[in-house]
Amino acid sequence: MTLAFLLPLAHALVSRRDLPIPAWLFAWGASIVLIVSFFALSVAWRSPRFERDRWRPLGAALSRALLGYPVQVLCGAIGVFLLGFSIYAGLHGTEAPDRNFALTFLFVTCWLGFPLFSVVLGDVFRPFNPWRAIGRTVGGAFAAIAGQRFAHLPYPRRLGRWPAAIGLLAFVWLEVVYGVSGGVSVGVTPNTAATAALLYTVYTLAMMALFGVEEWCGTGEVFSVYFGMLSQLGVFSVEDGRFGRRMPLAASTHWATVPGSLAVVIASIASTSFDGAQEGAFKGAISRTFDWFSEAGLSLTASLRLTDTIFLLLCFGGVALIYLIGVRGMASVSGGPPLSKLRTGFAHTLIPIAFAYLVAHYFSLFVFQEQAQFTYLLSDPLGTATTDIFGTAGAGIDYKVLSANAIWYVQVAALVIGHVAGLTLAHDRATAYWGDYRQAARSQYWMLAVMVSFTCFGLYLLSVGNA
Amino acid sequence: MNSKYTRVAVGLVVLAIAVVLLVVLSSGGSSDSTTKGITTITIKNGKPVGGIAHLTYNEGEQVRFKVDSDVSDEVHMHGYDIMKDVKAGGSVSFDFPATIEGVFEAELEGRKEQILELTVNP
Repeated sequence: MTLAFLLPLAHALVSRRDLPIPAWLFAWGASIVLIVSFFALSVAWRSPRFERDRWRPLGAALSRALLGYPVQVLCGAIGVFLLGFSIYAGLHGTEAPDRNFALTFLFVTCWLGFPLFSVVLGDVFRPFNPWRAIGRTVGGAFAAIAGQRFAHLPYPRRLGRWPAAIGLLAFVWLEVVYGVSGGVSVGVTPNTAATAALLYTVYTLAMMALFGVEEWCGTGEVFSVYFGMLSQLGVFSVEDGRFGRRMPLAASTHWATVPGSLAVVIASIASTSFDGAQEGAFKGAISRTFDWFSEAGLSLTASLRLTDTIFLLLCFGGVALIYLIGVRGMASVSGGPPLSKLRTGFAHTLIPIAFAYLVAHYFSLFVFQEQAQFTYLLSDPLGTATTDIFGTAGAGIDYKVLSANAIWYVQVAALVIGHVAGLTLAHDRATAYWGDYRQAARSQYWMLAVMVSFTCFGLYLLSVGNA
Repeated sequence: MNSKYTRVAVGLVVLAIAVVLLVVLSSGGSSDSTTKGITTITIKNGKPVGGIAHLTYNEGEQVRFKVDSDVSDEVHMHGYDIMKDVKAGGSVSFDFPATIEGVFEAELEGRKEQILELTVNP
C-alpha cells in the first residue's frame, strides 16, 4: 500500500495549491538573506535600543473609548456568540469541510486572522476571547452573590507556559494529523472540530476556576498565549489599563521571561514547518514510514496518524536542536551570562521567524478562503443550501485575485523581513548581555547561523511546494 | 574582526552558496516543459491507470484532456470548477483555457478519487 495522496486541511478547504517558488527566486531570496546578514554585522549598534525602549501612553480619551466597560462587554459577547455559533454549525451543519462555517471560521479566520491583526493592532484576541469573557462573568457573579472573590489555587510558577506549548502542538495535531480516512489524510471534519472546541471550553473554564482567569490566559490558554506572543512584535499594547505604543519589536524583549515560552515559539515554527513539508520536502520520508508501519500490521489510519505525529515531533526537535546549538555556541564566547540565561534570553528572537513562516505558508489560503467566509459561508453557514441570509450563498472564490508571482514575492519578502527582525532582536540582546561590544558581535555569529538556517529552510520548503 | 571569525564567516558564505547552487542545479529545467497534445486518462475500476496524471501548462494555453472511464461518475476539475458526467464505458473531453495559476486537482467526485494534478505556471 502506498500513500495515494495527502490532503491536509488547507486542501479540504481551498481547491488550489501554491506553485513552488522557482529556483531563480530561491537563489535571489537566499542571496539577499546572506548579504543583509553580513551587512547587519558591520553596522551593528553598540548598546541595546529595543530593550530600553519605554512604553508611551496614547491619549486618555482613546483609552477610555477602546478599553471602557461597554466595549469589553460587547467584544466578549461577540466572542462568546461566534464560538457558540461555530460549535452549533459544526455539530448541525454539513460534513463537507469547505461548506461548513465552523471549519473556515475557526481554522482560517481566527487561527490565521488573529496573528495578522495581533501584529498590526496589538493583542486584539484578549477582548474577544470567549473563555475569558465567560470566566470573568462567572467570577463577577460569584463575587456579587457570595460577597467575596473566588479563592484560586496559586499557579505553579515552574509550569509557566508549558501547558500552552503542549496545547499548541495538540491543536495543530488535530488540524493536520488527526483527520484520516482509509490511510488518506482528509483533514478534520466540522463535527470533530466542534466537539474539540466544546472539550477545550470545558477544560479551559475548569483551569480558569482553579487558577484564575487572567493567570490562565497568561500561561495556559493556548490562543491567548499564542496570539499574545505575536502581538509583541507590533507597536500597540495595553498597560495598566491604558492604550499606548512602543518601538516595533520592543515589547517582545520582555516576553520570554516566563518558563516554557521558548517551547511555545518553537512549537509554532515546528508546526508550520510540518504542515508545509508534509506534501513537499517530507513526502517521500512520510510515505516510506507509513508503509513500514502498515506492513508491520498497524491499520492504515493508525499508521498515518503515527507517522505524521512522529514527523511533527521531529520538526519540534529539529527546530529546538538548531536553536540550542546556537545558544551553546554563544555560551562559548567569554564574558556573557550562563547557558540557562542565554537559552531563555534569546527565545523572543524567534518570534519574527514564527510569524514569517506563518505568512509565507498561509497567506494565499487566507486571502482565498476569506472570500468564502464573507460570501457563501455567511449566507449559508450550515452548508445545507436552505438559507441565503445575505444573498451571497451562490458566490465562489475568485482565484485570480492573486497571481502566482504576487504570492511568491509575499512569501520570500516575509521570510527575509522576519530574518532581519530576528537578527535585530538577537543583536540587541547580545549588546545587553555582553558588556564588551566586540564579544557581543562574536556571540552573534552563532545566532546568525541559526537565523540563516531557519530562513533558508523556510525558502527550501517553499521551493519544494507547499500545501 | 579577528582571523578565526573571518574564517567562520567565509565558511558560512561558501556553504550557503553551495546549498543555493545545489538546489538551483538539481531543480533547473523542469519549469519550462509543458504538456502538448491531448492526454487521455484511463479509469479502471474507479482508479486512474498508471496513477495520478500530471499536466503542466503556461498561463493562457489551452488545457486539453480526455477521461475514458469504466465507471459512471462525475469528473470535477477543481479551481476551475468544471464538472462533467461520465458514463461507465464512456468518455468525456475537457478543453478550457489555463487562466488561473496554481496547482489544481481533478477528481472522480463520487469516489473522491484524484485522477489528475494540473499545474498552471505564470
